[in-house]
Amino acid sequence: MTGQRIVLRVVLVITACLAQVGIINRMRLPGGGPDLLLLIVVAIGLVAGPQRGAIFGFGAGLTADVFPPADHLAGQLAFAYTVVGYLAGLIDTGEDTSVFTTIVMVAAGSVGVVLLYAGLGGIVGDGRITASATLHAVVGTVAYDVVLAPLVVPLVSTVARRLEPVGSR
Amino acid sequence: MRNRRARLILTLLLLTAFSLITLDFRSGALSGVRRAASTIFGPIEGVVSDVVHPIGSFFSSLGHLNSYKHENSSLRQHVAQLQSQLRLTQREQNELAQEQSLLHLAGLAQYKIVAARVVAYGGALGFESTVTIDRGSANGIAMNETVISGGGLVGRVVTVGRNTSTVLLANDSKFSAGARLSANNPAIGSVAGGGRGQPLTLTLFDNTVQLTVGEQLVTFGDRPAGPFVPEVPIGRITAVTPANGQLGETATVRPFVDLSSLDVVAVVVRAPKSIKHDSLLPKSPSPAPTVTVTVTATPGSGPRSSSTPAGITSGTGTPHSGPTSSTTP
Repeated sequence: MTGQRIVLRVVLVITACLAQVGIINRMRLPGGGPDLLLLIVVAIGLVAGPQRGAIFGFGAGLTADVFPPADHLAGQLAFAYTVVGYLAGLIDTGEDTSVFTTIVMVAAGSVGVVLLYAGLGGIVGDGRITASATLHAVVGTVAYDVVLAPLVVPLVSTVARRLEPVGSR
Repeated sequence: MRNRRARLILTLLLLTAFSLITLDFRSGALSGVRRAASTIFGPIEGVVSDVVHPIGSFFSSLGHLNSYKHENSSLRQHVAQLQSQLRLTQREQNELAQEQSLLHLAGLAQYKIVAARVVAYGGALGFESTVTIDRGSANGIAMNETVISGGGLVGRVVTVGRNTSTVLLANDSKFSAGARLSANNPAIGSVAGGGRGQPLTLTLFDNTVQLTVGEQLVTFGDRPAGPFVPEVPIGRITAVTPANGQLGETATVRPFVDLSSLDVVAVVVRAPKSIKHDSLLPKSPSPAPTVTVTVTATPGSGPRSSSTPAGITSGTGTPHSGPTSSTTP
């Protein structure tokens, strides 16, 4: 069971990264675009609890940090997704998560990820981080993520829940 | 108890992430990891790109199989076939035009280039503007080399994997390059990206020089200090901001290349010692600059330029077969 769970999570992360750089970013959607990995980190956090959510967020973020063609400091996304995975895990959802909870968590998570990423970049003097770029990123990411949340999050949660050990939360 | 452990793990993970950031910032210690990731994941991105790109023509070819059985199927099939052929050749013609203008530019400048296809687009929440190309160290590409397309400057290579590389595009805020005004204005400055979808910014080093809208820029070719080969067309000035006690005038520059839709690009692996000034700029600039203005390759000029002694290692027609020909002078 544990082996299966790890394989599923690795496959999830790599698939999300590939879809992000190969399909979503290629489409050049107006205003920004969804952040697939955030949706998956929230979904896993909701199912697996704060501890596993944080670990999954860290792994997913670190993968995205080095996944080509990434060109920022390794650890920036890892830091941001760790926080989101942990917080999503803290929500006690019982068996099923309402669509409303999902959307609120995804919206808050999107804002949080962008602000954490920008904040960490700002600390090390990343020239890409400006107030207007950050504002653009927040608006563009939140809008698309909220639209995709009711589709992606329940799907990932359902698959992940089957492999979750009883009483893992 | 469980909560305390979760908090402990959270703290450890955040500390680790922060240490990684510091390590990567101080020493670039993780560039090796990025190179490895490029080697491992790059080829998969190439496969995804091959699947995603021609999906339109795939569906249209399925469509005409179904109409086989009907009475007038042969006619309909013929039409569908012609249509899908038309669609295919349109894409092929597009790529051919891009390759021809690329060859034209490389031939004029006598650059030795490695042609490549863009297979993935970076994002990082919209902050960065990077792409993966399907050529790497195995094809002779090295760090910091200049990347061009038929219209001019695209960016520079920042990570080299075995069969793929990462290119920092010119509109990324991290990008900057030495630039020279063309024509009769010898001023030099630095051109920098302004973020995705934003124009570039030129800052002059000399505060006595006047800039005018419509002037064109080329790379300065700051080989010792920076990575760029000289004379690559960058873009055209669309607005000028007067110097307010600053270093010099700044200007908004619209790049010649449409950086949001790249397909065929080339990495300049060797440039000649000297190139005639302004020889690569598009001829007869029009008053209303558009991207299409820059592609001046006429049907006759492509083949002619490819026979000039520009070494071309081209593999754009067959993305994963490696370099197919190499004609160095």
